[in-house]
Amino acid sequence: MITRKLAAALLVATGLGWAAVPKAQAEDVTINVWTHEADEDAKVAFRELAAKNLEAAHPDVHVKITWYEKNPLLAALKTALPAGQGPDVLYVEPDWTEYVEAGYLAPLDDLIDWNNIEPWARAVWVVNGKTYGVPQEAYTNEIYYNKDLLKKLGVELPANAQFTQSQFLDLVKKAKAAGITPIAQGVGDRPFPGAYILGEALLRKLGKDDYRKLWTGSLSFEDPRVVDVFKWTKELVDAGAYPKNFMTLKLGESHYYFYTKPGALMLPMGSWYTGRAFVPEDKGGQPKDFPLGVMQYPAMDGGACNQCKTSAVGASFAINSASKHKDIAAEFINAMSTPEMGKRWIETVYLQTGIKADVKSFSGPYAAYFTELMERQKGADYFIGGPRDLTRGECKDSFAQVMNSAFPGGLLSVDQAIKMMNTACFKG
Amino acid sequence: MTERAPCGRAAKRFPPGGLDARRASRATLIILLAPALLLYAAFMLYPVLRTFWNSVHTIKPNNVPAFVGLDNFRELLGHDWVFWKAVGNTAIFAIVATIADVLGGLLLALALFSGAPFVRFLRVVWFTPVLMSYVVVGIIWVWIYDYDWGLANVILRAIGLGSLEQSWLGDPHTALWSVMATHIWKWLGFNMIIFLAALYALPADVLGAAELDNCGWFAKLIHIIIPMLRPTILNLTVLSFVGKMMIFDLVWIMTGGGPLWSTETVSTYVYKRAFDWNTFDLGYPSAIAVLWFLIILAFIFGLTQIMRQRDRLEF
Repeated sequence: MITRKLAAALLVATGLGWAAVPKAQAEDVTINVWTHEADEDAKVAFRELAAKNLEAAHPDVHVKITWYEKNPLLAALKTALPAGQGPDVLYVEPDWTEYVEAGYLAPLDDLIDWNNIEPWARAVWVVNGKTYGVPQEAYTNEIYYNKDLLKKLGVELPANAQFTQSQFLDLVKKAKAAGITPIAQGVGDRPFPGAYILGEALLRKLGKDDYRKLWTGSLSFEDPRVVDVFKWTKELVDAGAYPKNFMTLKLGESHYYFYTKPGALMLPMGSWYTGRAFVPEDKGGQPKDFPLGVMQYPAMDGGACNQCKTSAVGASFAINSASKHKDIAAEFINAMSTPEMGKRWIETVYLQTGIKADVKSFSGPYAAYFTELMERQKGADYFIGGPRDLTRGECKDSFAQVMNSAFPGGLLSVDQAIKMMNTACFKG
Repeated sequence: MTERAPCGRAAKRFPPGGLDARRASRATLIILLAPALLLYAAFMLYPVLRTFWNSVHTIKPNNVPAFVGLDNFRELLGHDWVFWKAVGNTAIFAIVATIADVLGGLLLALALFSGAPFVRFLRVVWFTPVLMSYVVVGIIWVWIYDYDWGLANVILRAIGLGSLEQSWLGDPHTALWSVMATHIWKWLGFNMIIFLAALYALPADVLGAAELDNCGWFAKLIHIIIPMLRPTILNLTVLSFVGKMMIFDLVWIMTGGGPLWSTETVSTYVYKRAFDWNTFDLGYPSAIAVLWFLIILAFIFGLTQIMRQRDRLEF
């Protein structure tokens, strides 16, 4: 009897409590965001600031950001989205084309303030006339080098910062003879860095159109120009361009290898190099007085476009098509994409962006670096997107195994590498 | 009387047969089993059935499944050379590492059983890797195998065998064996403990009788100990073999299946096709999983049949 009375009292109390919940609270909306790059402090601060700004402007909106490493993020998305679950806003990259094809991303054309986004960056995310992602990070492929070591080798960088292919080969040989690792690169945990030199050389040799054809299967890897580039790269490999632990050296370790221990002459990398290098030294960043320089990838003999350069969009954000709060999710993305935030991105992340930002002069400890980086962009003819953005399935896997890893790792001859790539990619 | 009272009360509250499952009503049984059955159905049965269903479908863009019959299996068996490479690697891994695991575990257990010095210390040292996660083990061994500063090459250089230094995980000829060595290092201790428990459970009178008959140490091992350990050996062999047929974690952490697919296993290939192939189509990877499931099932069935003749398996 006592139990029944107690239960009744609880029911009444619960009912009263429910009724007493203020209406405003019941209408509060929480936007869930799943994003990668937890290990890059500047990007974390940037996105959290945008969330705070949105929450300040809309007190009834809350933003919950969940930080992932890339692979766990992919695994989570690939199970959550087909189940109709997942976040409202998700981190995406342009080569994740399957999300668009499967209909998991909402078209953003009418949701986002596109006046704040660079049209070339938006174009990366346009599929069949609709835009599915908002580009935040943009980058170019560069060769970072140690100015002191270059001087020590008695080599001067040409005025246009671009060696010829034979000069570059000589530079590698000189460095090796002097006991300096020429190129600090490793493929232990990434499917692309080993192919920087080879990929950029192919772009310059073939020009933009044929380069695209190569990756989309309508130009054979047996094309004599492609074979020439593979042969030149093989000469670099045989000259000892890469470290002995190339196959297992991880991306973060290759940065440390380059600027701290044991030190190397060059590090080909996307300009997101700064995310790891421009952090305090005790967190793995480069020493404050490190003589960092930026050079162009070498010009190819008979190259169709030696001024060509890869520019790509990296970190982007999209809205889950199953989200019940698309408008508010778009507000969060808009909050990350204002000109002020674009300026902040450049000044704190030291990286290009797809957000329109009016930055005429640079200040801060890395101003000289950013000025040099912008200098290297003068006269550049950009090819938007990299091999991983353009390939899929077997071709993409072969790119990772052959061009990224085994060929620069010295495990394959030119003929073997060409044959494997052609089998996987060329559609005839 | 006073001391027996609680039993008497219990007898009144639970009449004879009240707690006997054989006499419980069907409704009671269903209520008691339901939570476990629901969990099993949700997390085991449904995923398995769904995988079978997926294997004969292709999930087209916009998540519309299309029935493709046995096309995925035809493609897999007829044209997918990476799958066959993965099958070969997995078979080598499962056979070699199982033999090494079981034999190694037996040898370590015999060493401890025979009263080697520092028995307690060695038991802890040899068993510790079992307690470590694959992630930790993988990272430690990637460092050990590093060409420049890894312990393996440092030792080789120190003892004048610098010519043998290798990029252990970077060379297709050594990568699979290097991963296998790591796996064996991790699991030897587990087999050792199981064997040790079995050794201590051997009847002392049989071993004593053998000693009275002047049976030597080696003869005792061959003719008495190993035959009596046969059920344990068989159980560990089957468990170890099945576990290695599904090897994923360590390979993924150490090599990701490379270089040049030399460490690709069936499980890593399924993962790549499912999550790293720019597609949401789970049809093809499900076909691989189904085929491999049937192969493992056949192996277990075969081994069970062989062993049932003389020994009862305990897994």
